[in-house]
Amino acid sequence: MNAVNSGQAYHNNMVGPVMRSGDLALAIIEAARIDNPEKEVFVDDKRAYIRIHTEHEMILNRETIEAELGRPFKMNDLEVDLSSFAGQIETRNDSIRFYFKTKV
Amino acid sequence: MAVLNRMDWYDLARSTNWTPNYVTEDELFPPDLSGGFGLPQEAWENYDEPYKQTYPEYVKVQREKDAGAYSVKAALERSRIFENADPGWKSVMKAHYGAIARGEYAAASAEARMMRFSKAPGMRNMSTLGCMDEIRHGQMQLYFPHEHVSKDRQMDWAFKAYDTNEWAMIAARHFFDDIMMTRDAISVSIMLTFSFETGFTNMQFLGLAADAAEAGDHTFANLISSIQTDESRHAQIGGPALKVLIENGKKEEAQKRVDVALWGAWKLFSVLTGPIMDYYTPLEHRKQSFKEFMEEWIVAQFERALTDMGLDLPWYWDIFLEDLKDTHHGMHLGSYYWRPTVWWNPAAGITPEERDWLEEKYPGWNDTWGQCWDVFIDNVVDGKMELAYPETLPMVCNMCQLPILGVPGKKWNVKDYPLEYNGRLYHFGSEVDRWCFEQDPERYAGHLSIVDRFLAGMIQPMNLEGALKYMNIAPG
Repeated sequence: MNAVNSGQAYHNNMVGPVMRSGDLALAIIEAARIDNPEKEVFVDDKRAYIRIHTEHEMILNRETIEAELGRPFKMNDLEVDLSSFAGQIETRNDSIRFYFKTKV
Repeated sequence: MAVLNRMDWYDLARSTNWTPNYVTEDELFPPDLSGGFGLPQEAWENYDEPYKQTYPEYVKVQREKDAGAYSVKAALERSRIFENADPGWKSVMKAHYGAIARGEYAAASAEARMMRFSKAPGMRNMSTLGCMDEIRHGQMQLYFPHEHVSKDRQMDWAFKAYDTNEWAMIAARHFFDDIMMTRDAISVSIMLTFSFETGFTNMQFLGLAADAAEAGDHTFANLISSIQTDESRHAQIGGPALKVLIENGKKEEAQKRVDVALWGAWKLFSVLTGPIMDYYTPLEHRKQSFKEFMEEWIVAQFERALTDMGLDLPWYWDIFLEDLKDTHHGMHLGSYYWRPTVWWNPAAGITPEERDWLEEKYPGWNDTWGQCWDVFIDNVVDGKMELAYPETLPMVCNMCQLPILGVPGKKWNVKDYPLEYNGRLYHFGSEVDRWCFEQDPERYAGHLSIVDRFLAGMIQPMNLEGALKYMNIAPG
């Protein structure tokens, strides 16, 4: 992002979690790749937090995260390290969805 | 035994509206506290919280979060991080805890208002959890700094700040009183949870955590990023309220609340977070500039979410983008010059290397803010220390309660924005501050800024000594 276009930075469609760093964040990065095979996953590691984003929509499935972690995982356990997120959120029993309604 | 999935019972279990028989609806939900916006009860029953959580889940997850934060603190307690920290970093901690800790309890009270008085059952459930979140944040941010009180008396301001008339605290209280202590439940959900918590708390609790991790203060980094995991849930309380208002033709009222809260938050963060990130944090530990964090969290993330909700960019968007380059430099210059009046020891942060960094991040810094610092440095080098301390008062804005400032040097644009209202002359730091005041003048008109109080003779003796006494700043 440079000084010229920073004011236009809201013209983006990036959605997804901002995780505290740790093993859950690493599992989420892998799950994002597996559960959103058509999309490129952008990872921005700021040490204290990691942005994990895709364009417009991201689905994360509980089973995928569980397999990546190698231990039982409930969907709402995500909150332990979910510091923030881009886009709107939809919480379901066995998955979570980040999305934008509009496209810019 | 088969257990139903949460989503199979959640909506039914939390839909606790009923039709009152013994009292009227207005007695059950007084409009001043509930903020129904003239909408029927059914409209608020369409409120659908996107981030759902039940009480048993909440307890389990929060226990895990606390175990993490407290165990990191325990593990690092003997590491002498505080004793060995750069003085600038100590100032970061002091400013943060003083300005934030007790405000969390006030936020618990605001969440409690939504819990009791909102007509939307989903909001009542989420703010029950939100209220407990804020109590957690208050407790932790008083407990964590407490171990340092015996090493440094200024750490006591973590508890004390909100009880004082220190000028930055007057500004902080004025803002938080406006957005969360004196508003109805729906307005709180828009101004506190949506405008402030989905936007600005990310700056202080994640942006600053990135700097803290670089500075090696993992206790602090871990604490504040853990707090933000609560925020990311309960900050979602406001979004569905916005949707209800927009669907029912109340977009203008919703937009106005967002615009007022966003501007106030920006001004407060320009004095608190801006100097912390661009001047106090040691150069080698700065992850990004304040402006870059603002662009990441507020411009790219928050504003994009705002437009996705169906709201517009604030009318002052261009002014805001311009001010991103400047306001916090002025706030830093002011709080350094008036440094006896704050509860931390501001780091000047203007070594030749730091100035190079500032010039790179803010092209033109040397020709503007740098010119003031040149004079300052010359006075100190020439031994004229009396010129490096304040003898006069700044002008203070009657909206944000912070000094009125403009860009000095080659970009000179210093200007007062006055307004006469009911026979009293008010002064504002910007067109936007004046606009905020004009939206609801009776709400703000009776407030006296620190300078108004001085001129009214409420601060005696009328000099720095009297000012420090008034602000509860004892020597040491």
